Amino acid sequence: MSEKRKIIIFYAIFLGCLCFSHKSFSQRTQIRGFMDLSAGLQNNKVSFTLGEQDLFITSELSDRFSFLGESVFRFTPSTPTTFSVSIERAIVKYNFLGNHNLLIGKHHTPINYWNDTYHHGRAFFPTIYRPLLFEADIIPLHTTGIGLQGQNLGSLKFGYDLMVGNGLGSDDVLDNDKRKSVTAAVHIKPVEGLRIGFSWYNDLMSAGSKTHEGKLISWDVQQNLISPSVAYFGEKIEVLAESTWALNHTDTTGTKQTFAGYLYAGYKIKERLVPYVRFDRLHFQEGEILFDKNNTTSIVGGLRYHINYLTVVKLEYQYERTELERDINKLTFQIAVGF
Amino acid sequence: MTGHRPHGFTVCRKYLSVLLLLTIGLMTRAQDMPLTAIGNVAGVPSELKLSELIAVLKGEKLRWNDGTKVSIYIMKTNTPIGQNTCKKIYDWSGDKVKRYWLELSFSGKADAPTFCNTVEELESYVSQNPGAIGIVDRSSTSAAVKMILIDGKNPF
Repeated sequence: MSEKRKIIIFYAIFLGCLCFSHKSFSQRTQIRGFMDLSAGLQNNKVSFTLGEQDLFITSELSDRFSFLGESVFRFTPSTPTTFSVSIERAIVKYNFLGNHNLLIGKHHTPINYWNDTYHHGRAFFPTIYRPLLFEADIIPLHTTGIGLQGQNLGSLKFGYDLMVGNGLGSDDVLDNDKRKSVTAAVHIKPVEGLRIGFSWYNDLMSAGSKTHEGKLISWDVQQNLISPSVAYFGEKIEVLAESTWALNHTDTTGTKQTFAGYLYAGYKIKERLVPYVRFDRLHFQEGEILFDKNNTTSIVGGLRYHINYLTVVKLEYQYERTELERDINKLTFQIAVGF
Repeated sequence: MTGHRPHGFTVCRKYLSVLLLLTIGLMTRAQDMPLTAIGNVAGVPSELKLSELIAVLKGEKLRWNDGTKVSIYIMKTNTPIGQNTCKKIYDWSGDKVKRYWLELSFSGKADAPTFCNTVEELESYVSQNPGAIGIVDRSSTSAAVKMILIDGKNPF
């Protein structure tokens, strides 16, 4: 099917949906922002760090259509102003039936709890930094494409996501090959605060394309990611355990396996005060060609205090041991706000 | 000299005691205040279980059974009705309720409620929006608003 024909079909579906969404409606738009600043002590040196500034827009466009946009302004030394703007999410949602939605745009890939729940606003992160699973680019953080989503179905509060999008090596405006990435995720929320999830991601990274970090890939890599996840945020105890088992296959190297995971646990001494720990592990098999093989272990211990629902301070110590670089010992203080 | 306090001090202490008792009384009343669920005449059912009301007010139900979109209106969490709603419906503090909604709405899973300053404002919104549900502390006289029985009771 030609690109032109695909675009015509896409717009026909979009306009069709608009026509079925004809009820009178008063538009409601919210604009919010998030920002964080931190100070870190590492190698006997204190550095102050300006974090990301995250701008959110949500808008109810009609009875069934809504929009969510998330743009981030961040320090980028390679640009003339040393700052850049990126669109992290831009989603048009069509609620076609009950708790079932059709989503079109750029999404956080619904691969696990963290990526599906938290956005770039650090005020909601349970720790200062994302788990290493994210930092090491093991999982595709974003997918530009189309998805079906259901949530809170039945007594177990079953939810699902099925997403097709531009795959690995592509960008937000053009896919680099014919293959689309597929994400299938399910979860249940059997009791208050508990969410158990499982996802499968499949894609082909074509020879000649580049990874998110700019590494040129010379072979076709067939990727499967399997990600179980358990999250419990109760009145006193917080537990979040997620892992991804990555299987990267090429005709020359066969299948290489990577395991990446983390376990976070926190205990609310008071409603606003939470000491916490996190253990991260990245393990790559010999001969891995898609990811940078750098086996890593990290331990984080910290204290989080919620001044109010929009202002959070965290003090965190991290020890990280990697295969290729020197050990990291750092102490970080962060203030994250919403406005 | 030592056993006697000035007359002004005794009067002041009496007033303070009365004021303290009144404050405690008002606080107790705010915590125990009966709540009333109201809904727009279009879409919203006339009776709900408390567990269903809680699910609706947590954004777990996006549409009523007839397909009308659910929209939620609650009093600001710093008002006595808002505080009581947080305690009775969510069993959370006002801050936690606001944080919950901020997280949920910006994850794209549900539309945040409208937090109202006055009962009149809330009733006005509910009366104008099909599928709207709200929590107040009294019956409404508006023809476009109906009372919702919660576990067969209203107020609940």
